Amino acid sequence: MADTAKPWTAFYGDNVRADIGGGSYRNLPDLVRSVADTFGKAKAFTAVLPNGMNGTLTFKQVDEMSDALAVYLREVAGLSAGDRVAVQMPNCLGFPVAAFAIFKAGCVLVNVNPLYTTEEMAKQFEDAEPHALIIIDLFADKISGATKGHPIPNVIVTRVAEFFPVLPRGIVGLVQKYWDRSIKPIEVAHTRLPAAIAAGRAHIKSDKIEADRYAQEVTLDDLAVLQYTGGTTGVAKGAMLTHGNLILNMEQAMELLGRDIVKGEETIMTALPLYHIFAFTVNMLAFYWLGARNILIPNPRPLSNLKRAFENYKITWMSGVNTLFNGLTNEVWFQDTPPKHMKFAGAGGMALQSAVAERWKEVAGCEVVQGYGLTETSPVLTFEPLGNARAGTIGIPVPSTEVACFSEDGEILPQGETGEIAARGPQIMKGYWKKPEETSKVMNGEWFLTGDIGVMDEDGYFRIVDRKKDMVVVSGFNVYPNEVEDCLAKHDDVIEVAVIGVPDGATGEAVKAFVVAAKDSGLNKDAVRNYCKEHLTAYKVPKQVEFRDELPKSNVGKILRKDLRAEELAKIAAE
Amino acid sequence: MVDEFTQTLLGIMVGVIMLGLGASLTPRDFFLALKRPQGLLIGVISQYGIMPFLGFLFVTFLVVPEPIALGILLMACMPGGTTSNVFTYFSKGNLALSLLMTVTSTATGIIMVPLILVIYAATLDIEIPRGEIIKVLAVLLLPVLLGMTIRKLNANVGAVMEFCGSMLGAFFIVFIAVTWVPQNWQFLLGTSAATYVAAIGLGVVGITLGYFFARALKLHPRNARTVALETGIQNGPLAIAIVFFTFPDEQQQAIVAVPALYSLFIVITSTMVTFIFRRANTAAEQKMPDSLL
Repeated sequence: MADTAKPWTAFYGDNVRADIGGGSYRNLPDLVRSVADTFGKAKAFTAVLPNGMNGTLTFKQVDEMSDALAVYLREVAGLSAGDRVAVQMPNCLGFPVAAFAIFKAGCVLVNVNPLYTTEEMAKQFEDAEPHALIIIDLFADKISGATKGHPIPNVIVTRVAEFFPVLPRGIVGLVQKYWDRSIKPIEVAHTRLPAAIAAGRAHIKSDKIEADRYAQEVTLDDLAVLQYTGGTTGVAKGAMLTHGNLILNMEQAMELLGRDIVKGEETIMTALPLYHIFAFTVNMLAFYWLGARNILIPNPRPLSNLKRAFENYKITWMSGVNTLFNGLTNEVWFQDTPPKHMKFAGAGGMALQSAVAERWKEVAGCEVVQGYGLTETSPVLTFEPLGNARAGTIGIPVPSTEVACFSEDGEILPQGETGEIAARGPQIMKGYWKKPEETSKVMNGEWFLTGDIGVMDEDGYFRIVDRKKDMVVVSGFNVYPNEVEDCLAKHDDVIEVAVIGVPDGATGEAVKAFVVAAKDSGLNKDAVRNYCKEHLTAYKVPKQVEFRDELPKSNVGKILRKDLRAEELAKIAAE
Repeated sequence: MVDEFTQTLLGIMVGVIMLGLGASLTPRDFFLALKRPQGLLIGVISQYGIMPFLGFLFVTFLVVPEPIALGILLMACMPGGTTSNVFTYFSKGNLALSLLMTVTSTATGIIMVPLILVIYAATLDIEIPRGEIIKVLAVLLLPVLLGMTIRKLNANVGAVMEFCGSMLGAFFIVFIAVTWVPQNWQFLLGTSAATYVAAIGLGVVGITLGYFFARALKLHPRNARTVALETGIQNGPLAIAIVFFTFPDEQQQAIVAVPALYSLFIVITSTMVTFIFRRANTAAEQKMPDSLL
């Protein structure tokens, strides 16, 4: 297919190449190793707890530990190239070690949300069929329930204060175990992460094995990550992201945004979870690549948990979602002592409200620009260029990326016409794991169809008009109405249910459920919410519940979510 | 009466407790609080307004000998204790507020404690070694400042100190129970009921008054519970240290009776209050809508 016009390149600014070529590394292990060789003893990752307790790993340490863990996975756990390894933990030092080790072992990383319920975990494990699981002790009690049908042969357990100095680590352990009682007994056989690393080291020493051997054959085209995204049909789909997808996407994003970056000098605040593709690619990979120090926050809620990290480290960059930026500007401590060295903040995951962007600039003294992308696109497709941000847009495509609007017939529309946004570039996934028919639904040749309806203005800036899919985005997390409806439909007292997204000041969108309850069942809102809480992660639980006698339906009896949405929007407009 | 070794040990323990208290905050926290002083003002009023007045009432209406009266007054005028932070945590109060109030009352204590002591002592016609008390307070302020600085410079060391300080705070009670109580058993048996009423009453009535004071100012129930614990829980170890370092040996046994008994009983009082607060908190949680995420 011929190249489309790229009017946006005029806004790239000096020193930004429109085409970044084929990537600077052979594969992700190559990237990890050469960056570690360059930055060696500099601090790469620092995990910071709400009370300021912290632990740090240098570039060299992460490299060495991930080597040892890779050897463990292959030699002790007996994994083969291409085997899946699930990683389920909040931001902590074990995360980069685990991720890099999986890449080095030639295996495929499966990111799992640590807050998932047992049922949600089971679904994902069933699909990805991981051979190993690296999980945080806080949630390890769910393993036996989640792996009932599909046992995972190797379980490695880490903890929040892993790799911290011994005293703070001990205190955190004691507090979690005896004070908070947040660590429950683990019922399955498992190995502790440090023990696994030690076993790997022993192998390296005695057998003279080098971790480098596993990735010799790995190319940019090989699978690196299975990143799950809820499907429109309620079934989670694993987007297959390759080494090339991730390496090129981080290079693309930084080509456009990296203007003021000084290699080896930056400190980035990573409050977004690394299991989310935005933080995974931008924070963990791109900023590691740039020799920056990553400040990992295990739990950013409440936001006061970030206070010590902002106080103790010279934060120069941060990524976040609208909810986070909005929340921070409303924190008194943040207003009183905003970070002095911040150069830039990047928003993704959900629409950045212009009021929030303005307030951020006022309080933090630096710009916040927003980007756009999807799990399937590794994720960055567009970003507002620094100094040329335009409110209400998602910015311009990153280098080596084409974005266009497509008609319903699958034709590229002229500039200015509204259609489905599609993208072509090296960051587009290989397809959905084991779901070729789902893949074919979203691919039009080399073009990936985003499901978002948008328009390109005369300068090449894009704007989202509407969403084709019914997906609801709550604070950057995708909620698929079908999944919530399926859950509620199982309730004995629920006759019919429809779920839609409604605008919400705090979370961008919120889940709203319309329920037709059985007569005289006495079903109330709390019961509906509590039922969802038992089966779904918190962000999927409907914030609003409305009871109806009947739901609007089409001729063929399909519940019309769009009518409910229109009603809600009309109600809001009337207010 | 205690021997010199115990006295030295006591001094070191109080020093470490104060170090741990300081290490719970950074200088920035402190200056941030000064920028918005409403919350602190409430703390200072409850700490140095309500409690000393309560002590004054006890001394006035209970018939106690002068050394006991002095002990009651001294205990009532103390800044907030570090154990209040532990109980605030358990009762699901506002830990940040609790820490801040404790540190503030400790820092302002160097002026407020002697000032208020002098006023009430003059009213009651009791003699107090004002200069000596100021000296002890000033010396003990140093570890607080040191702790704050360390927390700022190295969060890991600071957090470990905070932890050790609060552990030692709990151990201090045990220390009193096993060293001081047996040595003074006969004295305690002979002490009047009024002494016990004051030692227990300071905590119980202090917490109650603190709670209603905060509620009257329309504070959120969670903050009101915090203020209540902060008001009623005084720095017992500090009072005991002051007695041993400033009063002549022959007076010590009687003066220290109320601070020592208070330190023992406040643990029981606070534990019971924590159970009540936790229940109140659970009830309130059910009524409030959960926020997403």
